[in-house]
Amino acid sequence: MFRLMLQTPVTEDYPFKPITLPERFRGKLDIDPARCTGCQVCALVCPASVITMVDIGTRKVGDRVLQVKRPIFELSTCIFCGECVDNCAFKALEMTKQFELATPNKSDLTMRKAVSS
Amino acid sequence: MKMSESKKSARREETAGLMEYSTENLVPFGPIHPALKEPEYFKLVLEGEKIVEVIPRIGYVHRGLEKAAEGRPWVQNMYMFERTCGICSFVHSLCYGQAVEELTMYKVPKRAKYIRLIIAELERIHSHLLWVGLMGHWAGFETLFMWVWQDREIVLDIVETISGNRVHKSMNAFCGVRRDMPENMEDHIVEKMKYLAGRARYYREIIDTEETMLERTQKVGKLSVDTVEKLCAVGPMARYVGIQNDVRLNDPYAAYDEVPFSIVTRNEGDVQGLLRLRLDELIVSTDLITYAVKHLPEGPIRVKIPPVIPAGEHSSRCEAPRGEIFYYVKSTGGRTPDRVKSRQPTLANLPAALEMLKGQTLADVPIVLTAIDPCFGCMDRMSFLDTETNKQWTWSGEQLRQYGIKHYFPNQSRNSPILKETHP
Repeated sequence: MFRLMLQTPVTEDYPFKPITLPERFRGKLDIDPARCTGCQVCALVCPASVITMVDIGTRKVGDRVLQVKRPIFELSTCIFCGECVDNCAFKALEMTKQFELATPNKSDLTMRKAVSS
Repeated sequence: MKMSESKKSARREETAGLMEYSTENLVPFGPIHPALKEPEYFKLVLEGEKIVEVIPRIGYVHRGLEKAAEGRPWVQNMYMFERTCGICSFVHSLCYGQAVEELTMYKVPKRAKYIRLIIAELERIHSHLLWVGLMGHWAGFETLFMWVWQDREIVLDIVETISGNRVHKSMNAFCGVRRDMPENMEDHIVEKMKYLAGRARYYREIIDTEETMLERTQKVGKLSVDTVEKLCAVGPMARYVGIQNDVRLNDPYAAYDEVPFSIVTRNEGDVQGLLRLRLDELIVSTDLITYAVKHLPEGPIRVKIPPVIPAGEHSSRCEAPRGEIFYYVKSTGGRTPDRVKSRQPTLANLPAALEMLKGQTLADVPIVLTAIDPCFGCMDRMSFLDTETNKQWTWSGEQLRQYGIKHYFPNQSRNSPILKETHP
């Protein structure tokens, strides 16, 4: 009884102290625009329709003119399953350890990194 | 005195369609009630303090998952069905995945089967601990709630280390699992399982001796073997009267046919029996995990399969913490399923729960409803409700077909004896 009274609380002291996250933690999605080829596989497998592909220009291959596409991420609907990361053949996507995503402005969660660069 | 039409309809609303019972005896329970984690409505008819009749109304959290599945690719549905339930999330994706795997020619690697077993059993421990805590909470034994939920954190931490998330593990893939077990995890898991088994034995002792728990749970919610068999209860609700009903043993899936274990049954047939049963099951689960971690075979964890599933239909059964879940999948050889049907244990256990409530006092309602470990979010699939008369009924496929014909061809005089009997 006295031992229980003297010990510190068992709960995490979270906002005041940073918590340790496991190695495989799946947090906010991030993209390396240099590696993305616009293959659309991530958009096909995403269960939450986070990823939409937009045209950013054209590219000439021989005689044919191809559309170049890049993804826009609507992270407010992301369910953090990590299926897009698993399916990315070019290792352009990764799950970061960032999890504090609360924001008063929903548009903050739209990631246009791959389009603007 | 003759009542006017508006007064009549007002009264009908007030009594929720139970005109035959007087208003003083009717207690509405829910849909939003502190004893229920999810919205569900029960009309309780009382005689003094005693419950004589319970009429449920289901469907408050119907989300149309089965229809939504028809418009999504196979792999996306895996994550959608995982979100059917917030507690037993893994077993839903496992059951759906198994049904789809049977349609393909690929086999699940042995190591993946063992990892599936470990995660499924971890989930069972976490679900049972959560339930024991809630039972303590509703019986007025808050200390038990605090202790048990503290121990539950151990399981969640292990799950987080393996999968990356505490609740929605996203571990399953078709024909395998997505992540391997972390290295050097074996000793940690074995040690923690030993600790949890010890704790479970301690809680078992508390439940057998503590006055608060005994008063609230003994001889509450009594059911006989015949009633349970008649009402087709599944999982712990069948095992607590002594019926050997466990899919893990009767129809082994994952690696359950390769690991030695025995299922627990009890003979009490009351809420006290359910508590003992679930805590004993928890100890069996810790043994299973310890064995599986020690005998984890080497090899690949996943076989990649194409996004198009061959035509055919298959069903799959799994033992969720609450009982048997069932998935039926039909494919026409496309990128999306033609039909997915899921049956959850709470729907199967609800008739038995209503039977348990009869004869109890109003004060026992929260503890008996919690005792079946309800998950209404999972359960809400399909129900009939006539808003004019507020009557509920169920139909078989044949009756539904006949109703459809009658609805679209009213001029054809098809006098169906089946419809006449059941349509109110």
